[in-house]
Amino acid sequence: MSIVTTTRAAERSGSFWRRAHLTPYWLLAPAVVVTAVIVFLPMLQAVATSFYDLILFRPNASRFVGFGNYIRLFQDPVFWTALWNTVIWIGLTVPLQMGLGLITAILLNREFPWRGLARALIIIPWALPSVVIALMWRWIYDPNTGVLNDLLIYLSVVQGAVPWLADPHLALYAVIATLTWQGFPFFAVMILAGLQGIPKSQYEAASLDGASPWRQFLHITLPGIMPVLATAGLLRVIWVANSMDVIFVMTGGGPGYSTHTLPLYAFIKARQNLDFGYGTAIAVTFTILLGSFVAVYLARTMREVEK
Amino acid sequence: MGFFKTFAAGLAVAATFAASMAIGSAQAETVRFWYHFDNPANPMSELVAKFEKANPGIKIDAENVPWNSYYDNLYTALIGGNAPDAAMVKLFAQPRLVEMGALEPLGARIDAWPGKADLLDNLLELNKGPDGKQYYLPIQYVVLYLYYRTDLLAAAGLKPPTTCEEFRDAAIKLTKAPETYGFGLRGGKGGWDQWGAFVFSQGGALKPGGLTNPQAVAANQWVIDLFRKDKVIPPSAPNDGFQEIIGAFKAGKTAMTIHHIGSSKDLVAALGDKVSAVPVPKCGDGHWTSYGDESLAVFSTSPSKDAAWKWISFLAEGQNNVAFNSATGQMTVTKSGAKDWKLHERRFVDATVDSLPFAHVLPQNAATSEFVNTAWQTAMQRALTGQITSQQMMEELNALVAQ
Repeated sequence: MSIVTTTRAAERSGSFWRRAHLTPYWLLAPAVVVTAVIVFLPMLQAVATSFYDLILFRPNASRFVGFGNYIRLFQDPVFWTALWNTVIWIGLTVPLQMGLGLITAILLNREFPWRGLARALIIIPWALPSVVIALMWRWIYDPNTGVLNDLLIYLSVVQGAVPWLADPHLALYAVIATLTWQGFPFFAVMILAGLQGIPKSQYEAASLDGASPWRQFLHITLPGIMPVLATAGLLRVIWVANSMDVIFVMTGGGPGYSTHTLPLYAFIKARQNLDFGYGTAIAVTFTILLGSFVAVYLARTMREVEK
Repeated sequence: MGFFKTFAAGLAVAATFAASMAIGSAQAETVRFWYHFDNPANPMSELVAKFEKANPGIKIDAENVPWNSYYDNLYTALIGGNAPDAAMVKLFAQPRLVEMGALEPLGARIDAWPGKADLLDNLLELNKGPDGKQYYLPIQYVVLYLYYRTDLLAAAGLKPPTTCEEFRDAAIKLTKAPETYGFGLRGGKGGWDQWGAFVFSQGGALKPGGLTNPQAVAANQWVIDLFRKDKVIPPSAPNDGFQEIIGAFKAGKTAMTIHHIGSSKDLVAALGDKVSAVPVPKCGDGHWTSYGDESLAVFSTSPSKDAAWKWISFLAEGQNNVAFNSATGQMTVTKSGAKDWKLHERRFVDATVDSLPFAHVLPQNAATSEFVNTAWQTAMQRALTGQITSQQMMEELNALVAQ
């Protein structure tokens, strides 16, 4: 009898221990399951699809081609154009947004009347839907009726209307300017939060020691907001890299291929030409490229920040 | 015991409810219908109400799908197994839809339908599928023609051009850059039908080898030269879509452009008598303009094909069709509706009817969709901006057609 009781007690304590041990996993499970089903499963499916020659309106002609789509991709000049455009797209947009955001944050951190209102208004570009922004800027840039050319001609900066979105040498930069305008408030708000976390006493001590405003910025402000810059920068790199809605609405990737980025090229191939095999091959390749970049960035920047 | 009573009562209520739902759904069959109207004042709900009143057993669930992604959504829905029962469709999509096995043949239903005799001549013939079967029921049509500013042409002492030579000459004389340009070319999405008037008329054809012959390449070069050498087209042309060419024409930036009767109301509202239209110019020995079709189709996966047919044939009948076209601003497909047509000014109807003898549709093959959707604009934009030559552009498009 006593043996039985002991065993039961052991079982009870065992299941109790097991339950306590499992609790965190149970709590994590809903998030993990949802992420697995709506993110990882489609990702695996995409990898599998990229090994098939799958044109959606010819479902019966679908066949396994191994790395065929990837070989085709590396021989496709449009892929290399789009890759280069993607590099310019990320390489210009994120630093510009960060720079503009930094200046705005420093201005907003000063005391001036109606500061609360200014802080609220600055967020508007970020709060607007991308499609609205794209349509708005499309008309601002319009050479026939747009306001930008009107202003520039009035100020005698240019002689005739500049076809901002129709010139293959300008179109990408025009779209980058739009996205910079849309994204800088995100940096401004994040950096502002970082600025307010820097103790005033540090500045007071520095000015007592005779440090110039520039040196104060370099040695107090910048290190103080570094963790924010690093995190916000990483988030923006990922978002900007993947965002194609503004490009799609403003130019559709044109003129020609001059505003094709890789996510846009994948979208056009998969959704407009219904070539899912090739489209997913582009998407998978881009995911690997972006993933490696993020890994290197995290390894380097976070180490710096944690120092 | 009390618990069981309540439970049983609840069960009974639930069962009755479920049963009544089942009867309800058996009584009212729902037809899911996709269409695209640019016009925000959309009278579809009135047509739906009229139909549902006449057919109490059928409910219409009509969804206005934005035009720019209409076909992307339609193909994806078809493949994803969530297709509507019926939808508005264009001829260029028919080969692809037939290849997918997505369309329900309508030949027998159309033959048995009293409205068939009221359809304008030849429309059913134009709408035939690539395999000779009838899948499409015509619902509206337009023909592309040349819009011109009467005041600007009169001021320059010009008559509306009838040939390509006259057209180029007029465009050059009308151009006073950067204020005014002779011609508003749509170099962005959907511009292939303007281009067709200049290239398909002069030996170009959407078939293997049909674009790379010397006449077609030269005709294409002629269009490129209008932009690059003659500079009679606004510099924004490579990125201009429908909104831009109409906006520029209304603002007086361009003196001529090519579009169809669907935009006449809007243009008359902005320009009054200063806008008129004639058929597109005759180029070389040929004359070509785009017949802009719109039809209705029932999908083969639909569980309610009969109800869907009732609805689409309702929309193609006499006054219903007139109401439908008053929303789209296009032309009715019925003889009875055309008799007393008041939706457009006479001059635009005349330009449309005068263009019918040489109006064509693109050949029905699987490459046509890609040509219309993405390939033409990407190639044209690069040719217009000097990244590729006319020959290279035509070879690229030929490769697509020859696939």
